[in-house]
Amino acid sequence: MGNGTSLGRVRGLGSAHDGAHHWLTHRFTAIANLVLMTWFIVSLLALGDYSYASVSAWLAKPLVAVPMILLVANLFWHAQMGLTVLIEDYIHETGSKFGLLTLLNIAALGGGAYAAFSVATLAFGA
Amino acid sequence: MLVSILHRATGDGMALVGLAGLVWWLGALASGPEAYGTFLWAATSPVGYVVLIGLTWAFFTHMASGLRHFVLDIGAGYELDANRFWSIASPIIAIVLTVLVWAFILIRDGGLG
Repeated sequence: MGNGTSLGRVRGLGSAHDGAHHWLTHRFTAIANLVLMTWFIVSLLALGDYSYASVSAWLAKPLVAVPMILLVANLFWHAQMGLTVLIEDYIHETGSKFGLLTLLNIAALGGGAYAAFSVATLAFGA
Repeated sequence: MLVSILHRATGDGMALVGLAGLVWWLGALASGPEAYGTFLWAATSPVGYVVLIGLTWAFFTHMASGLRHFVLDIGAGYELDANRFWSIASPIIAIVLTVLVWAFILIRDGGLG
């Protein structure tokens, strides 16, 4: 932290110590979520039949599987960012914060990978 | 104030409950009809409906207050009247959208069955 310019005096403050890029990426993923979730809700309502045969056949189509994988990736990304801010705001002890952020990143990557792989499994007809 | 904490609560709530549900749904579909049957049984139980309707409400609440945040982020909407109006309108719009979605499902199909 500097003591010269106005920017220099505030740079690095706050619970996360940085954040312009994080803040912007949170909004980019929010816009993508708005588009993809609109597609998801409208498609699910249009589908109507939620039996295994109906939903698995629907998800196997390329024009459904691809946006669904994008939705999964984007949701987990946006959620990881939101939970990161939550942890930074409320957990002040360095070790606990580090541990929780580590668990969060493992869960977000693991959950996203499992969900995306599940869609791929249906799409490739295994 | 309320809109701000609702935005965080619904967002982080969906991150934990909603994503767990999404992973269960997709994983069950990939695992086959039997696993999907278990998911559908849970989703169409009374608790399942409460969770799904709650997630729908959380999504629309987060979406409405998120859109409001976008306007505030570009430096607009800080006039007292406008700010107050949208802080009250956002959660109401979310409830209306939640009712519309579930009314559509219940009237057309009588549920998720």
